[in-house]
Amino acid sequence: MAKTKYTKIDGSSKEYWGLFGITGFLALLAPLSALYIFVNGHHVTGMTNQVPWGLPIVMAVYLIGASAGSLVLSAMSSVFGKKEFKPFSRMAALLAILLIIAALMAIILDWGRPDRLMLPFFYFQPRSMFSLNAILYSAYVGLCGIYLWAMFNDKGKLEKLLGISAVFLAVLVHSGTGAIFGFVYVRELYNSPLLSPAFIAAALSSGTAMMIIMIHGTFKLTGRHVDAKLIYSLAKLMGIFIIVVLYFIFVENLTRAYAPKNYEAVSFLLFNGGKYTNLFWVGLLGLGLIIPMSIVLNPKTGKSTLFVLIAAWMQLIGVVIERYIIVIPPQVLPLELFPDKQITSTFLDGQIASYNISFVEICYSIGLIGVVLFGFIVCIKLWPMLPTEAHYQELD
Amino acid sequence: MSVDRRDFLKLGITLAAGTMVGPAGFALSNVSSHANKTNSNDSLINKWGMVIDIDKCAPNCNSCVDACRKENNIPDFSNPELDIHWIRKVKFKQKHVPEPTERSLPAMCFHCEDPPCAHVCPVEATFIRKDGIVLVDKHRCIGCRYCMVACPYKARSFVSKHVNPENANNPDVPVRMHGVVEKCNFCVHRIDVGKDPACVEACHANGGGGMQFGKFNQNDNGILKVVRGGKAQQLRADLGTNPKVYYVGI
Repeated sequence: MAKTKYTKIDGSSKEYWGLFGITGFLALLAPLSALYIFVNGHHVTGMTNQVPWGLPIVMAVYLIGASAGSLVLSAMSSVFGKKEFKPFSRMAALLAILLIIAALMAIILDWGRPDRLMLPFFYFQPRSMFSLNAILYSAYVGLCGIYLWAMFNDKGKLEKLLGISAVFLAVLVHSGTGAIFGFVYVRELYNSPLLSPAFIAAALSSGTAMMIIMIHGTFKLTGRHVDAKLIYSLAKLMGIFIIVVLYFIFVENLTRAYAPKNYEAVSFLLFNGGKYTNLFWVGLLGLGLIIPMSIVLNPKTGKSTLFVLIAAWMQLIGVVIERYIIVIPPQVLPLELFPDKQITSTFLDGQIASYNISFVEICYSIGLIGVVLFGFIVCIKLWPMLPTEAHYQELD
Repeated sequence: MSVDRRDFLKLGITLAAGTMVGPAGFALSNVSSHANKTNSNDSLINKWGMVIDIDKCAPNCNSCVDACRKENNIPDFSNPELDIHWIRKVKFKQKHVPEPTERSLPAMCFHCEDPPCAHVCPVEATFIRKDGIVLVDKHRCIGCRYCMVACPYKARSFVSKHVNPENANNPDVPVRMHGVVEKCNFCVHRIDVGKDPACVEACHANGGGGMQFGKFNQNDNGILKVVRGGKAQQLRADLGTNPKVYYVGI
């Protein structure tokens, strides 16, 4: 098998500097929005005392998932023996690092006191998933970095070992992220042992979708050749991961719906929750999962780059919706102070709360994506991340 | 390409192992730390707590809430979604019953023995004092709001606006800080100088006098005696958080 060659991109064209400027501007939106929120107080966001976690947390969870997903893809060749994906392993590992950095930004800048950044590293509370995740996330960033270094230096065995450890840590990191919500035993829609594995399934599907889009875009813009068959096999992989996501959603909701005590919560999500119900059926199940899955698993559309790209975009946005549905509705539903009684109060007890995404949160979320893209186009200029070409035939 | 069976299996096993190791370890450590508690029946002794007889709590009486707001300089943001509530009157009526009577009770932080808020706090800003009071160190809180998501009783509020300290009436309580989470602290500054919390004092002065505050003490006729009688109940006792505020007459 011919050895894959990696080169830096030239990065001197007008288009490059144009992209550099646009993504750089977008990336600036994140710290600027965070500063705006910090100076004014969180009342400028959509968060309330009823819904303390809003879009920034949705984005954080999403970015962590995409990071874990791309890391698994990066390790596909060295850990899982899928040699045909070798050309993408560097850029996938790079994306994994950038995504987790953006996720950490999302979390930290969403705090009421981001100025107390270092405190979670000074104090340790073993029962807090946030405390554990602070350790897991930092270890993960470090390990991904070392793994990328090993790939650059062709460390063979060490690369494989690091790959295995990084995949293991990625799974742990994202299980930990799922557990943030899954462990909240007081909210019916959060508390579930399935959240961690379901998070990983969605991480893999959205990570694959993101890689398809990034590979196609980067190779096209840099004039490098990528064999369409590689895109199609990634798409098929995405289809399989989507089936797993669907399965988890099915089992989780059915199990929950069985218990009479959960009737109110489940019917809110599935039938009379207004925008949340629409998001669930149309946004997530229809547009985010079933349609893209059908596109990529259909032998005809699955072999059309255009269709595959459409499916990847749908899936990418579908998983944002999935995270939104996981994070927001459980907070919107009132807490059951008395499960057998109807309650009201001046603190809006017993009422369905509302969460309206504010403009500044949207800027903030776009900014986080800007951080990833800006980091990516800077890094592919600085280091040889991209293969000169990616051929399917290179297989043994 | 097709994902062959062996690869899929490998992937599956890696995922499953990773998924289980983490949470399982933490859960086990929680259970074992619970098992190590010596005789958990005694854990209440010498802790502060409250018993509230809600038959004495008139639906239109708000004196505990008013007193709390005044004592703790709680600002009025005039926005029910953002307003800070340390104590509130909760009105309730029976479900599944035709024409049920509406009744009410004051709800605040219940200073749980096993407080989910303290467990989820990544920096131990929420902690339990030796006398059982659950406190928030506002200088350590990072404002992540995990505690608000985890608290079963909606006892916590986030300070989402800057509050001008010059508008504060009571100089005895610390200056309010934006970007952190706060909640009822049983008026710790009052009980440390031998006074009752402001809500309890106001309940006896202007309200029905249903709130009884004190330590769960073996040998006197205080709140432990009422709780021993078996008629007092906690809210959501099923969650195992073991609140130290009991209600009589629900």
